[in-house]
Amino acid sequence: MNNGRVSLKKVVKRHGAFTALHGIDLDIEPGEFFALLGPSGSGKTTTLRIVAGLEEASEGSVFLDGTDITNTEPGDRDVAMVFQSYALYPHMNVYQNIAFPMRMVGMPKSDIDMAVLDAAKKVHIEHLLDRKPGQLSGGQQQRCALARAIVRQPRLFLLDEPLSNLDAKLRLETRGELKKLQRSLGVTTIYVTHDQEEAMTIADRMAVFMDGQIVQVGSPKFVFDNPATADVANFIGSPPMNLMPAVYRDGVVRIGTHELQTSCRIAGERNVIAGIRPSSVRLGPSGIPARIDLIENLGDALLVDLKLDDMMIRARTGAELTSREGESVFFSAEPAHVHLFDTESRVRING
Amino acid sequence: MRRSGIASAVLIGVAGVFLTLWTFPVLWALLTSFKSERDVLAYPPTLFFTPTLGNYRDVLFGATTILPNLISSFIVATFTTILTMLLAIPAAYALARLNLPGKRAGGFYILATQMLPPVGLIIPYFLFLQKIGWLDSYKGMTLIYLTFSLPFAIWLLVSYFEDIPREMEEAALIDRAGRMRAFLYVVLPQVRGGIAVTVIFVFLNAWNEFLFAVVLGGNNVRQVTVAMFNFISVEQTLWAKLAAAAIVTMAPVILLGLFAQRHIVKGLTVGAVKGGGRR
Repeated sequence: MNNGRVSLKKVVKRHGAFTALHGIDLDIEPGEFFALLGPSGSGKTTTLRIVAGLEEASEGSVFLDGTDITNTEPGDRDVAMVFQSYALYPHMNVYQNIAFPMRMVGMPKSDIDMAVLDAAKKVHIEHLLDRKPGQLSGGQQQRCALARAIVRQPRLFLLDEPLSNLDAKLRLETRGELKKLQRSLGVTTIYVTHDQEEAMTIADRMAVFMDGQIVQVGSPKFVFDNPATADVANFIGSPPMNLMPAVYRDGVVRIGTHELQTSCRIAGERNVIAGIRPSSVRLGPSGIPARIDLIENLGDALLVDLKLDDMMIRARTGAELTSREGESVFFSAEPAHVHLFDTESRVRING
Repeated sequence: MRRSGIASAVLIGVAGVFLTLWTFPVLWALLTSFKSERDVLAYPPTLFFTPTLGNYRDVLFGATTILPNLISSFIVATFTTILTMLLAIPAAYALARLNLPGKRAGGFYILATQMLPPVGLIIPYFLFLQKIGWLDSYKGMTLIYLTFSLPFAIWLLVSYFEDIPREMEEAALIDRAGRMRAFLYVVLPQVRGGIAVTVIFVFLNAWNEFLFAVVLGGNNVRQVTVAMFNFISVEQTLWAKLAAAAIVTMAPVILLGLFAQRHIVKGLTVGAVKGGGRR
């Protein structure tokens, strides 16, 4: 059955001397909401475009449900895509935009009518069918692009930063709706975003891209809890993980002259990068002394910038804090929440 | 925006001056075309005279008829326009989309052909047409006009094609249109305005052209611009007939402009899509 399993095997993309993708391997399960996450220029959009057939892979293969589609035309792949700019056809009205992919395969008019109305209803734009894209708000344009994608019931949805042109409030609403829509349709969805929060909330699993490579694949929770490299740790989570040069020995991490316990166990003494998430930093009566540089009130939480020697450590803590800016406090962290990364390779040290 | 009374009065005044400057010759020709040759030569010029349709009768159906010449001009201009557009549209689209080496230099070459003084080309063109036996023929005239109109049309159209986001075509490709239909259904309708503008310019240039027409044409192909010239001779100049012929010659051009104007304006408003739709 056509269920939408995607596999990328050693996909390389070169633009002249520049290599955009260094051999991507990826398996996406049927029905999964899968995010490609990474900073701009990391290769996530290129990967999506290779899956769509809009760009050719320089090496490697793409499979959809076991069929090699590496050299298949975009229109023959049975995929639908929502572009960052929506790419609506400005000279056609909403109805014609949504009907376009079905007109192109010569579907009978009555079937098109039904499918268009059905798709428009799913994204709540059935009252806008006569409008031209230019007469729609940004959110409505986005829904129109979504309707054009879902109308053909493809095997695969490709979404390229679909929420990035919406304002913050609308983005949150649409994010939830998108997730529900994907659940109800059950179609495999690949979602490109540079917004780690978006990927965390929306995706079943995600791949983190850095410099044309996939650094980590896993559920948002797994990646958050076990970042594969210091860079992933720094990219995921807001505010990002505190990373400090340190020396490890016998379950103790020494940062400058201060010591922290970690549950990591490795042999001997070695230089490491110690990582602590802001939400894992405990402020209390004992631990490492530091000075409060700045307190930012988020309403339900406080962001506290601590100054330790010449390092800045961020803590996210509950709204109850008696200390003021400029005062000294002590901080600590649960041993299980002190992550270690190799100084050279910046790869996570599990022990 | 609100303007003060004085500002808009000044604006209307200035616009009025320019309008007068531009329309005066046309109005004068229009007026002259209804005069008898005697009234034309009256000094001081008369504004009030007995209008006559005699000049129009003569230039259309009389002994000095320009009707065959109008037809010649129409044939040459139409063929030039059709061939130009058939070749320029795909060429401009390719230039806009493909990253060809030397694309910039090619663009400059195209522009440079517009800077050449046509007089310099007359003799080579004459010899060339003579050699292949195409002098004084429709195919010869059309071929020569193509050398000017084609680069110009390509240059004009490229910018219209470049304005269309690639993503829109990519969306059409994914929507199973294929390259050809993506071009026909998604790209082409959006450059309607540009195509209308180009058609007008190409047609106008061919219609109004005089220099090549007079040298490379002859008894078979005598375009209306050349025929009009015959009203000026050594003995006398038939001003009233010349004016009537000029008005008759201008009419189709003005009609074409009015007809295409709608499309041009439409093309412009289509481009005014706000938000991500068309950027």
